[in-house]
This record gives sequence, C-alpha cells and structure tokens, in this order.
Amino acid sequence: MWWSRFGTPLSTFEGVSFYRKGRNVWAFSLPEIPDMRCESVGLRFMSVRGRVWKPTTYALQLFGRFATKNAVDLGPDQAEKFIAGEQQSLEADLEDGYVVVSHRGDVLGCGLYTRGELVSQLPKERRIVKEGIENCLSDGDS
Amino acid sequence: MDGLERYRGIVPEFERLIEAIVRPLPVTARINTLKTDRDRLLFRLREAKVPFQPFSWYSLGLKLDVEKPGNLIENLMGHIHVQEEISMVSPIILDPKPGERVLDLCAAPGSKTTQIASMMVNRGLLVANDPANTRVASLRSNCERAGAINVVVTRYDGRRFPSHEFDRVLVDAPCTGQGMARKDLSVLDRWSLKRSLGLQRLQRALLRRATDLAKPGGTVVYSTCTFAPEENEAVVSWVADQVERVRLEKVSIPGLESCPGLVEWDGSLFGDEMEKCIRYYPHQNDTGGFFVAKLIKE
Repeated sequence: MWWSRFGTPLSTFEGVSFYRKGRNVWAFSLPEIPDMRCESVGLRFMSVRGRVWKPTTYALQLFGRFATKNAVDLGPDQAEKFIAGEQQSLEADLEDGYVVVSHRGDVLGCGLYTRGELVSQLPKERRIVKEGIENCLSDGDS
Repeated sequence: MDGLERYRGIVPEFERLIEAIVRPLPVTARINTLKTDRDRLLFRLREAKVPFQPFSWYSLGLKLDVEKPGNLIENLMGHIHVQEEISMVSPIILDPKPGERVLDLCAAPGSKTTQIASMMVNRGLLVANDPANTRVASLRSNCERAGAINVVVTRYDGRRFPSHEFDRVLVDAPCTGQGMARKDLSVLDRWSLKRSLGLQRLQRALLRRATDLAKPGGTVVYSTCTFAPEENEAVVSWVADQVERVRLEKVSIPGLESCPGLVEWDGSLFGDEMEKCIRYYPHQNDTGGFFVAKLIKE
C-alpha cells in the first residue's frame, strides 16, 4: 500500500515487522510479540477503516522521507499553517488522499489533499499556533 | 534549604551548591538520531536562528536559549527531545547496543527510554515499564514522537516484573528528587528522612528484581536524582550484599565533574566499593543532581 501510494522502496522497511490489532497496524522491530502483558508494541503505523487506510503522522515522520510521490515540501508560510492544524489551498502534483508533508526536507506529518485543498492531520496536541512558534520557519535565504 | 544542610560535610564547596540550587536549570535537549542527525539538526537550528550551545561532553546534547523548547518545530517533528542534561548520563552508562534485549524498569515519562531506543538504532527489544496508568500516557506519547519502533510498553509493578532475561536493565528509581530542586524548590521542603527510608524499601526491591532479570554478564544501572545516601549507596550496597554474583563497576563520564559514591554515612558503613558509584552535584556542571551505579551480573 505504501509502495503504490508513496513509492516508498521496500528496503525502507527492512527489519521491520507489521501486525494488525483492531483498526490499527503497528510497526515493530521483532517478528514476534514478546510474551508479556503489553500496553503497546512498537509504533502505530496506520489505521484501517474498511478499504481506507491512513498513515500516522509519527510513521510518516520516520519513513516519509523515502516517499517518491504524493509528498509535498511546503514553504515557510504554508508550513506555519500546516503545523497550526489549518486547511489551505495548495497547487501541487498530488493525487487526492493522504500525503507526506514536509518543510525544507524534514517531514512534518500527514496531510489530507482533496481538490486543491490541504488539510493538516497533525494530532491536536502536537499543533503549534502561530504566536507559539519559537523556531520560525526559515526559508533558508535570510 | 534546610533539607540540604545535612549534606554540608559531603559536598565539596557546599556554599556553591546552595547558590546553584536557586538558579533555574538551563533548557537542554537531546538530538534524536532515529529521525535526524547532528549536522542536519544543528544546520536547521542555525538557519532558524535558534540560539544553542552543544554540550562539551556529549555530542547529542544541546543547551537551548529559548523559553518554550516544546514549541520548537524540531520538537514537533521529534528531532529533539527536551531533557535535563544530567539525566542523559544513565543511558550512556547503560551502553545499550542494537539488537539487544533491554529493560527500562521505571520508564515514564520516557526521556531515558527514547535515548536508549536511539542508541539501539530501533533494533532489538526495549521494554519500557511503568506501573502508573497516568504516567504511561506520557511514556507512550514520547515514544511515538521519538519514532521508536523497538519499544514495548508494560505496566507491571517493577518489583514483580515477570521472569525474562535481559542484556541490560535500567532502574531509574522513584526518589525524593532533591537533585531536581532547580526545577521546583519545594522538593526540598517535602523531603524527610521518613520519606527517604520509605522509598528505600521500594528502591531495594526494584534493584534486586533488576539483578534477577539481567542475564549472566548483563549490566544493571541504578540511578536517582536525589542526594540522599539512604536512597543511593544504602540501596546499592544492600543489593550487592544480598545478591550473589553481582559486582560493581566503576562509573565515569569524561568531561563531567563528579564525586565518588560515599563509603559511609551517618554511622552506616557502605564499604570502599561504593566509591565506584558516581555523584553529580548541581554546581559542578550547572545541571541537576544525580547518582549512578553500575552493576555487572557474573
């Protein structure tokens, strides 16, 4: 699925095992889950609802840099809106659906792209509203 | 400040400790190599004009001259983890390797857990245990943000953690936290000998269980952020006496000023071996206070 959506080479996931529990798929470093009463095992990789699947922001932050399509690098103002959790118009070579959103080559998280609109999917508790941003998003030439 | 007076005889330049303890801690963070590398992160910070100063003793540590490091975009992306400087010591002493089986027995909120995961390059198994439901939420959230895929979170009472063999076990024990007074001075007023001795029972049981769980040749690291010898040398020496086939190994980190562990305290003899442990006082490196011991199971 990741391959067809993001063009992520399979070698990205070498040594990573995946397992499904309920509506979530988790990425884990070992092929077998340890024999313990576990609260969580590995990193929540994506959620699955019927035929629709959604990558988690944390999985994209880890593996998204290897995406070769449906990935977009935002400018400073756009990135600011994205990390504030906002929706914005965006012209980009993207198919509708979930996309990898980055800024200056580093992945910010998951976005939902539909008909020219990009909606931030960052978890609410991770969002940073404008006046709170200490690290101003630099465009690199200042 | 009365809570510190009892340490006048063991702390070098005690007056400097008293001066240091009222100053707030510097804001410090650790670079998360699971998601970025040092050069890339430092480049980002420079471009964004975030003032920082790398640690002299640890290449992945930084002092940040910002008020709210939690609002840095690098924090959102999990490229840095805001963590007190001296607490980065215990994972370094533990020295976990990729592919090993490691247990962090008192893991929440997960600063040291995520540091261990990055040292293991996301390979092998890292069990992050903490009994408290409320604290497990922050532990899980920090592991997610760090991008740790080799972490299993469990919620056992550490004293009765089920039998499994581990290459390394970290016991970063619950303590009276006097070393964190620069974050919250009231910890000094809350300290009492009774509290230290109450925690000592728990700390001894945790460290003892950790030595059971380490495989032969395995490493157990015990750390606290308190000055009280009742919670430090009195715990380590008791376990070293009680458990056969456990020896102490000398702890040292080049570039950090420190004191050896105490051989005796208040009439109790802990033995010369305790000099292999290490004490860090806030005025020595402009950090919090910390104690670390390293045990090897034979």
